[in-house]
Amino acid sequence: MTHAIQTIVLGLLLGGVYALAASGLTLVFGVMNIINVAHGALLILAAYFTFAIWTHTGIDPIVSALITTPVMFALGWVLYQTTIHRIRNAPPSMSVLLTFAIALIIEGVIGRIWKGVYRSVTPSYFNESFKVGSIYVPTARLYACLAAAVILVLLWLLLTRTWAGRAIRAASQNAQGAMLMGIDVGSVAALTFAIGVATTGAGGSLISVLYPFFPASHYQWISRLLGIIVLGGMGSLPGAVLGALMMGVAENLTSTYISVRWVTAVPYVVIFVVLLLRPRGLLGARTREDVVPV
Amino acid sequence: MTRVAPERLLFGVALAAFFGWLIAYPLYSHNQYWQTVFFIAFLFAVTASGWNIISGYAGYVSLGQSAFVGLGGYTTGIVATRAHINPWWTLPISAAVAGLVAALVGVVIMRTRGHSFVIITIAFLLILQLTALNWNALTGGSTGTTLPLTPYPREWLYTPFYYVMLGLVLLSVLMTWAIRRTKFGTGLIAIREDEDKARAVGINTPVYKVLGFVASALLIGAAGGTYAYFLTFIDPSGMFNILYSVYAVLAVLLGGRATIWGPVLGAFVIELLREETNVHFGATPLNIAIFGALMAAVVLFLPRGILPTIGGWIATRSARLVPGVAEAAIDLRPSGALPMRAAASSSPAEKVLLEVKGLRKRFGGVRAVDDLSLYVREGTITGLIGPNGSGKTTAFNLIDGMMRPDGGEVWLDGRRIDRLAPWSRAHLGLARTFQITRLFRQMTVLENVVAPLRSFSVRQLAAGAVGGHEVQRAEELLDFVGMLRFAHTPAAALSFGQQKLVELAQVLMLDPKLILLDEPAGGINPTLIERLVEKIRELNAMGKTFLVVEHNMPLVADLCDPVIVLARGTRIAAGPALEIQRDPLVLDAYLGEGWTVEEAVTA
Repeated sequence: MTHAIQTIVLGLLLGGVYALAASGLTLVFGVMNIINVAHGALLILAAYFTFAIWTHTGIDPIVSALITTPVMFALGWVLYQTTIHRIRNAPPSMSVLLTFAIALIIEGVIGRIWKGVYRSVTPSYFNESFKVGSIYVPTARLYACLAAAVILVLLWLLLTRTWAGRAIRAASQNAQGAMLMGIDVGSVAALTFAIGVATTGAGGSLISVLYPFFPASHYQWISRLLGIIVLGGMGSLPGAVLGALMMGVAENLTSTYISVRWVTAVPYVVIFVVLLLRPRGLLGARTREDVVPV
Repeated sequence: MTRVAPERLLFGVALAAFFGWLIAYPLYSHNQYWQTVFFIAFLFAVTASGWNIISGYAGYVSLGQSAFVGLGGYTTGIVATRAHINPWWTLPISAAVAGLVAALVGVVIMRTRGHSFVIITIAFLLILQLTALNWNALTGGSTGTTLPLTPYPREWLYTPFYYVMLGLVLLSVLMTWAIRRTKFGTGLIAIREDEDKARAVGINTPVYKVLGFVASALLIGAAGGTYAYFLTFIDPSGMFNILYSVYAVLAVLLGGRATIWGPVLGAFVIELLREETNVHFGATPLNIAIFGALMAAVVLFLPRGILPTIGGWIATRSARLVPGVAEAAIDLRPSGALPMRAAASSSPAEKVLLEVKGLRKRFGGVRAVDDLSLYVREGTITGLIGPNGSGKTTAFNLIDGMMRPDGGEVWLDGRRIDRLAPWSRAHLGLARTFQITRLFRQMTVLENVVAPLRSFSVRQLAAGAVGGHEVQRAEELLDFVGMLRFAHTPAAALSFGQQKLVELAQVLMLDPKLILLDEPAGGINPTLIERLVEKIRELNAMGKTFLVVEHNMPLVADLCDPVIVLARGTRIAAGPALEIQRDPLVLDAYLGEGWTVEEAVTA
């Protein structure tokens, strides 16, 4: 029993970090109806930035989220203005291909700068853990999860308590309506995309202490994050958090009770099951599909 | 269509010359490098052509197409080494395995659409890769499987592989061409243009989609087997490679989506670019980045693809010579009578053709249709009116199967139809037009009118897309609505009113017993309304029954008898138009304070 609780606790701590990593992906999908396949690559890029900061200055990887987040925000803004805005209303194949292309560019650049070897960030508390009752809590996972929770709360406040946040939510529910209400939907999309990419900054910093990473790791990350947002309901932020916690637990249960070799299969199985049985996910809005498209 | 345009002739000659050269190439050159480059280009061409069928024609964007390369490759590898057969003989098995997996998986994943389909195909590919990696006993896991070496003389080099793969390219092109010319092909394109509409005009969309997925997989399976034999060594990450899916997608977009030669052309460009970046940058990370940049450039700057872009230039050049659609008028001369399915009963006013009993549909807390019962007698033009939000269009959607009711029954001509698929209802004689017209926009008017199917059979799939008898009938129908001169105009170029007329001709192709018209007079000019009314009367005289939703009250009073009135999702009155207009309940529903829409919604 303790063993099972231990597995679930570790999974939940992991899931908190996954939630932050997935939040930007679901936000961008919700507002822009674009699946940003490059989200995983951006996450890995931020992890490498954290690695560089840590090796050169010794700044704690979790603290360096304060640096990587604005950097990734700026990168997101530039990406939107140079490329993404041109395919805003294009069919899914175009946006998937373009963001896939961006992922390949990032993968190539990372490989060029940091070489194709596994890197990891190992602060002093990297291998430490403490005991609560009979449960071990790894220090790094706890810190990362707490930091993720704080950032997610800030993101939630931004979306619900500010004018910009309301504009983002309005645009995500009805872009044309928002436009008629005087919201510049183009700028809102740029802001959303930049915020979405900014979350990979903090997310990348946090995952850098949890997992070793590699230029091609982005494939595994994007699969996992897609599984999470499909499970939670694409476009729903609370859904992404719920989906992420469940994904973290499911992965840990699989590695403990089935085999480590099948952990990567968890997101794929989740995608299959959810899209077939409940396509709108756990917390996704059910859209009326009978309304005739104009 | 009869005269061959000089551009087409030039294109044909260039193609023939290019393929002649490809066939002759290994005979005079033993350059292994170029033979390999061409071989890989052929592999991409087969993959891209397959992708073109499911994604270019049917519009279902798959990123899992390279799964069939892997399935074909592993089938060849496993069968050849276990059963000690020459790998060449395993190619049909590889194709069959790919087709079978596509059929089984297709039945399941074809239920998702849009972004969900893209995601599920990625999951499909990666799940197979992981299975190949973990199923050591069968696949050798990460250490891979080694195939037997070729038995023929060394000096033949790669030539046999070259020719087999070239043959598969030609087969792919032939298949793409053949599909485009059949009902199967137009059905797939109809699905891409508007899947719900396709269902409503009698197309059995699930069967079409699954067959489309199978057709897109078969030759890729055989190509995967050939590729595995060529490599003589296969491993999971090489065979189930998502990048190969991406190359296929990119090749089709580059060459031209839903064209016959576009995927082949695109595949050559992609492979040559890949080789160029390999030569200049080697197998370095920078190579990946450069390729990504090229890919982004294609998506951003050449979204239509090479062939359609060139085709567009030629079309604009020649289009200047003919007057535009907007200048041409609708033919208002009286038209001849139509041959129709004879009216079944001699005393039509007696028989009930459509009966709806206790129909219910909720959207969250809103009861859009609430215990609705009504009937339509054969031979009538029955009106269906009611304030906005009273549930008229929802009732239509429930009757024709666009939506499933929460409860209640729908009977058509003595058969219960509320559990049937929309296409089966269309086959039984139920047709429907839309409030906002839904034509297949990229098809011509004539293609739109021949698209509906009165039945489903496997033989029909292979029938010509636009064939003799049907064309004659379609032309009669277009003449009937006065739109014959627009037969070869793309539907998207028509005005809204013209589209309404074409949509009427389109559903008449089903030779329906009952036609549901959703606001036929909404948003079109008075002349056109007159014409439409005249046509509805003529059709009615020929024995067609109508159920018409309409807000234009003088029109309803003039055309419809009886009239059914809906409010709050249920029937509040029915009878001749004159009586209805005096009914206090009806007046109350339209004008009374107690019946505002807000209250109807919150009630």
